[in-house]
Amino acid sequence: MNSKAKQNRSLLVFTLPAILVYMIFKLVPALFGIFYSVTDWNGLNKNFNIIGLDNFKEILSDVYFWNSIIFTLKYVVVMVLVANVLALLLANLIESLSKAKGFFRTIFFMPNMISMIIGGYMWMFIFTKVLYYFADNYGMSFLDHSWIGNPKWSFVAIVIVSSWAMVGYLMIIYIAALQGVPSQIKESAYLDGAGKWTCFFKIILPMIRHALTICIFWTLNAGFQVFDVIYSLTGGGPGRATQSVSLNIYEEAFQNNIRFGYASAKSTILFLIVLVVTLVQLKFMKKRELEL
Amino acid sequence: MKKLIVLLLSISVAVGLFAAGQNETNATEPVKEVELNVMMSFPRYMDQWETYCNQFEAKMLKEENLKVKINLEMPSSDQYESVLQARLAGNDAPDLYTLHSNNIATYYKSGNLEDLTNQVLATKVYENIKNTVTIDGKMLAVPIESQAWAALYNKDIFEECGLNAPYTLSELKNVCSVLTAKGYTPFMLAFQEQWVPQLMTALLLGGKVTTEVPDWLSRMYDDKGSYAEMRDIFDIIDVIMQNGTSRAMEQGSESGAAEFAMGKSAMFVQGTWASGTIMTTNPDMNLGVFALPVNENPDCAKVNISTSTTLAVHPASSSKDVALKFANYVLNDNDSSALFESCGFNPLATCHEYEVSSWVNDASEYVAQGKAYQDLVLPSSVTNEQGKLLQEYYVKAVTVDQIIERLDKTFQEANKLNK
Repeated sequence: MNSKAKQNRSLLVFTLPAILVYMIFKLVPALFGIFYSVTDWNGLNKNFNIIGLDNFKEILSDVYFWNSIIFTLKYVVVMVLVANVLALLLANLIESLSKAKGFFRTIFFMPNMISMIIGGYMWMFIFTKVLYYFADNYGMSFLDHSWIGNPKWSFVAIVIVSSWAMVGYLMIIYIAALQGVPSQIKESAYLDGAGKWTCFFKIILPMIRHALTICIFWTLNAGFQVFDVIYSLTGGGPGRATQSVSLNIYEEAFQNNIRFGYASAKSTILFLIVLVVTLVQLKFMKKRELEL
Repeated sequence: MKKLIVLLLSISVAVGLFAAGQNETNATEPVKEVELNVMMSFPRYMDQWETYCNQFEAKMLKEENLKVKINLEMPSSDQYESVLQARLAGNDAPDLYTLHSNNIATYYKSGNLEDLTNQVLATKVYENIKNTVTIDGKMLAVPIESQAWAALYNKDIFEECGLNAPYTLSELKNVCSVLTAKGYTPFMLAFQEQWVPQLMTALLLGGKVTTEVPDWLSRMYDDKGSYAEMRDIFDIIDVIMQNGTSRAMEQGSESGAAEFAMGKSAMFVQGTWASGTIMTTNPDMNLGVFALPVNENPDCAKVNISTSTTLAVHPASSSKDVALKFANYVLNDNDSSALFESCGFNPLATCHEYEVSSWVNDASEYVAQGKAYQDLVLPSSVTNEQGKLLQEYYVKAVTVDQIIERLDKTFQEANKLNK
């Protein structure tokens, strides 16, 4: 047996527990989901029929589903921009501090430790009670919007809460990447007369492209699957004005006519969309990464 | 060599753990142990049911030398159904679980309900309530929450303004203008959760259909009816929305109930189940129930009689005899009254003897006068759609015509799928 095969085998053995967990709890349910998408199972009955691609044909004319796709796309675009810019900004600010780095890192990372459904309810209290209290008692009328009832403002509310939850995690990745930028390169750039901005855009940003790839990949992925923030904040309302794809799928599977098979078909489509988008993104960004 | 040591060590740890586990079971041998998984959908009554489960455990230990351990789970009510469905589908059914009486037929068909007809409890439940949980002559669940409900009002405010409960649209308009003139907001609007605005259509449709168009629902199920016949209920909805508190979309049901209790509005379209929150917020509240007017016909103003929550035994339960004992214990002659009274549930069986609250009496008076109807059973997708559309109507994203069109469409889709 050659050494390469041996190495591969020991690699496999070491990762076996992780692979097993991944297969049992992620891969197998996902494959089952794809299978259910060609059935008319209602999630409750003991038997069901295989109906071929009928579910997918029906999705083509499902207005609520496509509206939720458009809403989700809008959300993803805004979140990728807002969350990454904020996280980069925070990472740079914290890295430029001479003291209390750990303190601020912990503070901004904190929201990640709370379940988003709880975070969502906390923010709901802020949006529906605290802000109005300020608006009514201290004349801060710029806070007096229909934060849940007006889709425009509830989108803003959703973006605020999601960023609050996401930024800490991204920030940690960016901080790690920033620390990996060799200081001699920065110094020589300063000596050559580069300003702070030039240095950031010409030296630091290209050097942390790999972090950008990961962070954008992660925000894309998380963005397409957004559920808990919207569920706890607006419930998708008023009506379906802030309904994301996941909420639409949830409604189909558990609330209305309990069409588990049809909901699985929708999930399969969402999976394909996420797959294509992230593959394109990875391919596009991997090419531009720098290696020292 | 290293590998061997690691292997031996891990085997010895595993054996040790196994042995330790064995010892534990041996220690409690004399009493037979049974575990009972109970899942319920009303976390607001957690304390009461936990106490009741403890009483049952004590009773079993004393009377049958049976050590019962009840695992009581109460997921929040809006996620309850999805949790339950996931567990039923995954062959992990709880021994006992609550379900809405509207779902009894579906769960019965899919083989998830044990027949309770021959249990002692069946002889105790009042006949008209037993009907709401019976299919094909089989009693399939223990009714828990059965109520007569309609809109709530603050009796003190009404008395101060010299007003009586309205029966018609114009009387309601009058009530609103008097209240407004005296500086009160007539209605509490709490539309953040979609099931709350939906209560308006529940009451209005029920009152109108059972009085004026009794065949409407059966025609709807045959694709031969339309919400256009129900158009006049939107006159009332307009009155409620125009005379309500502001920021309705930002008001949740619980905080709405609390603010109603503090006198922020005089009326609230919300069932008697909110009385718990209301009375804890303001124990001095003089809470009343009135039938919501539907149009100019005073006969349409009725209260809704319905069984919502029921308790079922799963046929595949591994300790079904104990599960059935628990189901019977829910209507126990000695202990049931205290449980039902502490939860504020209405009496529904011969074993229930307790004083009911004033608002329950209000509703009972309507029932005594024949101004009551059995809850209409709509497909759940239609009920949900009504909630969504009323939210959209409140923020002026849809018109009445669009609502009618979309509800008809949703009803027809549900019919197609349930054929």
